[in-house]
Amino acid sequence: MRLGRHEVVLEPRPAPPAGYAVLTAAVAILAALALASALFLSADASPAAAYRAIFSYAFLNPHGLAATVQRSIYLLFCTYAFLVPFRAGLWNIGLPGQVYAGGLAAFAVPLLVWREPTGAPSPALVIGLMVAAAAVAGATTGGIAGILRARFQVNEILVTMMLNSILFWVVAYMVKEGGPFMGATAEGESFTLPAPLRPPLWWGVPFTAVVALGAAALLDLLFARAALGYRIRAFGASPAAARYGGISPAAISLLVFLIGGALAGVAGYHTFAAIPGVHKIPGNYGYYGDLGFYGMISALIARGSALGAIPIAVLFGGLSLGARFAQGALRLPFGVDYALLGLLMMTFIGSHVLHAFRVVWRRRGTAVADAAPTGAPGT
Amino acid sequence: MEPVLAARGITKRFPGVLALDHVDLEVAGGEIHAVLGQNGAGKTTLMNVLFGLVQPDEGVLYLHGRPVEVRSPHDALARGIGMVHQTRRLVAAHTVLENVVLGHPRVRGVLNLRDARLEVSALCRRYGVALDLGARVWQLSEGERQWVEILKALYRGARVLILDEPTSVLTPPEAAALLAGLRAMVRGEGVTVLLVTHKLPTVMAACDRVTVLRAGRVVARLRTAEATEDLLVRHMVGRDVAPGPPGRSGAPGRRVLEVEDLACLGDRGLAALRGVTFALREGEILGVAGVTGNGQEELAHVLAGLRPATAGRILLDGRDITHLPPRARWTLGVGYIPAERVEVASIGAFSLVDNTALTYHFDPAFVRRGLLDDAGLAALTRRIMDGFDVKAPHPYARARQLSGGNLQKMILGRVLSRAPRVLVAHLPTQGLDVEATAFVRARLRDAAAGGAAVVLISEDLDEILALGDWVAPIYEGRFVARLARAQADAETVGAMMAGLRREEAAAG
Amino acid sequence: MWELAVRSLEVSAILLLAALGELIGQRSGVLNVGIEGLMLFGGTVAFMVTQATEQFPLGFAAALATGALLGGAHAFFSITLRGDQVVSGMGLWVLSFGLTTFLGSPYAGPLGLGRIGGLAGLPPFFLFGVLLVAAVWFLLFRTGPGLAIRSAGENPAAALAAGIPVAAIRYVCVVTGGVLGALAGAVYTLSYNPVWNYNFIMGWGFVSLALVFFSMWNPWILLAGASLFGLMWQLSLSPELVLPGILSRYVWRTLPFAITIPILVVISTPWFRARWGLAKPEALGQPDT
Repeated sequence: MRLGRHEVVLEPRPAPPAGYAVLTAAVAILAALALASALFLSADASPAAAYRAIFSYAFLNPHGLAATVQRSIYLLFCTYAFLVPFRAGLWNIGLPGQVYAGGLAAFAVPLLVWREPTGAPSPALVIGLMVAAAAVAGATTGGIAGILRARFQVNEILVTMMLNSILFWVVAYMVKEGGPFMGATAEGESFTLPAPLRPPLWWGVPFTAVVALGAAALLDLLFARAALGYRIRAFGASPAAARYGGISPAAISLLVFLIGGALAGVAGYHTFAAIPGVHKIPGNYGYYGDLGFYGMISALIARGSALGAIPIAVLFGGLSLGARFAQGALRLPFGVDYALLGLLMMTFIGSHVLHAFRVVWRRRGTAVADAAPTGAPGT
Repeated sequence: MEPVLAARGITKRFPGVLALDHVDLEVAGGEIHAVLGQNGAGKTTLMNVLFGLVQPDEGVLYLHGRPVEVRSPHDALARGIGMVHQTRRLVAAHTVLENVVLGHPRVRGVLNLRDARLEVSALCRRYGVALDLGARVWQLSEGERQWVEILKALYRGARVLILDEPTSVLTPPEAAALLAGLRAMVRGEGVTVLLVTHKLPTVMAACDRVTVLRAGRVVARLRTAEATEDLLVRHMVGRDVAPGPPGRSGAPGRRVLEVEDLACLGDRGLAALRGVTFALREGEILGVAGVTGNGQEELAHVLAGLRPATAGRILLDGRDITHLPPRARWTLGVGYIPAERVEVASIGAFSLVDNTALTYHFDPAFVRRGLLDDAGLAALTRRIMDGFDVKAPHPYARARQLSGGNLQKMILGRVLSRAPRVLVAHLPTQGLDVEATAFVRARLRDAAAGGAAVVLISEDLDEILALGDWVAPIYEGRFVARLARAQADAETVGAMMAGLRREEAAAG
Repeated sequence: MWELAVRSLEVSAILLLAALGELIGQRSGVLNVGIEGLMLFGGTVAFMVTQATEQFPLGFAAALATGALLGGAHAFFSITLRGDQVVSGMGLWVLSFGLTTFLGSPYAGPLGLGRIGGLAGLPPFFLFGVLLVAAVWFLLFRTGPGLAIRSAGENPAAALAAGIPVAAIRYVCVVTGGVLGALAGAVYTLSYNPVWNYNFIMGWGFVSLALVFFSMWNPWILLAGASLFGLMWQLSLSPELVLPGILSRYVWRTLPFAITIPILVVISTPWFRARWGLAKPEALGQPDT
């Protein structure tokens, strides 16, 4: 941008200071909340009342808090499902499809294996199988995108989006109009899990919480210290350099989608099979698929840090639930949580600019800046 | 007679460096004027000022005696100043004609290609340029592409042509043809040519007058008829050039690398290497000399394992490594220094320690139970920084904060730290200043002395002749010959690089 | 059967408009993966304005303005800031997806204004699309500005050296892409299926993106691809016309998406790639330095 003899330019920051990630994350979230006020105002609601409703329900109300915890676990899995490929520079926007696949596989297990009256084989085994099946199904779904990317360099964004649509309709087939999973009440949703197959709760929380937190720790360890994590990071930073260093692009592309897909599959298990009071694939299952994108945003805002994503996922879990609640309580139009999702994406991009660039004010014609660019012959 | 183009007192400062210091330049009409200087002397900056890419801090430009301001390339072209850059600025996928007319003010609305074709053909005839206007640029040789650029400038009405290092990527015959064409243009049509170069033979052969730059200042203005090469060198460098490095002594060891009939494809699916055969012993340096685009890059890739070989074998210490992936080759002792130090050999966003890991993440000495030994890598990085004089704040600085020279030293150090048996170095000193270049060359020589077999792929004939025990000119994917250093002189090798065969080269 | 053909053409028109806009943008070197967002926002705004004012032209105008704005934002981020174009495109999509769900929900339901008349029963938008294809082809390959656009996409450095304002050209192309994408969304909500529902475009934006790759950046091939896909889509909605009784209708709904994947793979095979690689704008997705 030119202003007389001077110009204002955005220059890439060579090395963002350490605390910047946290700072920009906070800015993004706060800015989104601020912008949401405009939405509340446009719907004739007071922002203060809206926020009070959202936060008090999400974090202070016993029901709300419990739901927030469950939602956060789900979002955490989705976050990691996006995060792993993202570190490799790949976009896994196929979260919804992988979640659906995981849910379908999990519910297929009891149909195939569980015999109601006798209660055999042991419920613990079946639950284990359900989780495993969910992970495998998610991994396979993700793996399709991974293989096509690895072998044919097909754009993974397109493949994952196609798979999302495909799996969305497959679920519809399975739970509606006489599909194999349809529940007894024939209301376009799946059967409810029999009581023995519902995961036991510890302080109201299913074991998936432990899995999620364990995944968080393992992922950060992977990327910080492990050789494999290094290879993923290197590939994400520069595929050409990674090849040079003996890292196989095909192997990495496939691997990160397998891992990401598996995590999303487990997210599907959690949200459909493990949440107390639900234990079925509901008619509005598409909503949960859409929620997966909150996971994408928390991975982006957390800048790829798995542990750093935990508070963000919890916050988003609370926000999405609280927003639903406030929507009803204050008679706001449908979709406050969706709007918040959109605003968060917008502010994330804004904060990303803050993080990656700095504003420089200088005289025009001064072409090259301080750190001499490598490779350019004598200027 | 008024000079056609003159510059007085041109000064330009960049952060931390004074690129041009009160430079005066006078170019007479109808002459070929050389601007001579080493890398970093300020030649390109001066040309950028003349062409409007850069605004000077002080000084005035004069065109036909009148002071002018050239604010942009658009301005320059409007005033009849055209520039042909060092790197090609052509759209490879488009035809010659499309490239020539691109951006011309007359080409605003509907493209009347027929008329344009007639005009450009007339231009070609007038200036003696022979080009197929319908050919796609990617199909042309470097010399022909050079002519497309010149044609482009002429089509825009340039009467003053600035050529930045025009012969640096041309074979000797192509360079001779270019200079002859320029001379014809100058004598016949009265065009003025400003030639920026660091190559003495070009200056002596083709130019009428020469202005020598050193460290941003004009140190000499001569007519070439009155100058000698030694005199010009002394002005360029500021002192008498030191004698070349002492010849190496010691008998070479046993055979390390054997390449038999190696072939592979290029990026567009056409054959790039067509059967290369050679063998190297410990301590020997093979200089592969050629102009870009004759298979050098593909040769480097195939040796490093980044490109599949379609035929032939590579033997390392007798072991067939032809189809081994890069990681296995690193482990077995092949080291590779790619030409692209920023995109391929290093990761700008990563720290230096993480960059070291790029060729150590698979090494059991630095990986325990799947975890990288960060402390060990940091220590290694520090050792490399000390041993290779890498100037950086600390080992965790990001690679992109380093200058070109320091980055290349870091890369060199990292590769050499693995004590490779075979070292493939592709354009290792490209874009480096004099100091860094000398450092890198010395280290390559040391590596060879230490027992490595070095394959040096370079476009700099001086470098090849300075370092190589063997010289292999490469042309269209084949080694034209494998000469021992004693038999390789600049003319012969140069001719072979242009495709002349051994016998012809010896005779010519 | 006639009804099927007409509806297919309507679908094709929507895909064609969005894809054509993206083709122009990609020819200039900028990638926008958020076409879905453009269509959502354009369609939603058009629907809201039309329902409020009961004037179709106003609705379309609002969509065009929205598209220009969103395209401009993507252009700013990608060109001026030299940011990652995929991040910006994804941002555009999620942003639109989220906001339109909220903004449009009070208007959910049928438009209630009757169909937009066609020409002899044929939907006007398809004809408009065909004309646009011809115009774009002519522009790109037979005019000076078109040469400049293609050069900006192949080698921006060369274009700059020739005095072409690459940044300005890319801005114009990306904003045009935004306008066309939003227009496509408006055609969907105002003409093809005038019933607003959140996320109504359900993946068509990404299909358009796939079509651009598939077309090898040639407007005529794009027209063929969009037409084929439109037919396939309509068939998947009414499979009983061709293959009655086989498979649940939900499974049929997956067909268009399922077919797109192998097509993408075929495009990536070496044979195809050799031609495709030559056709692809060399500098696609990269900033101009």
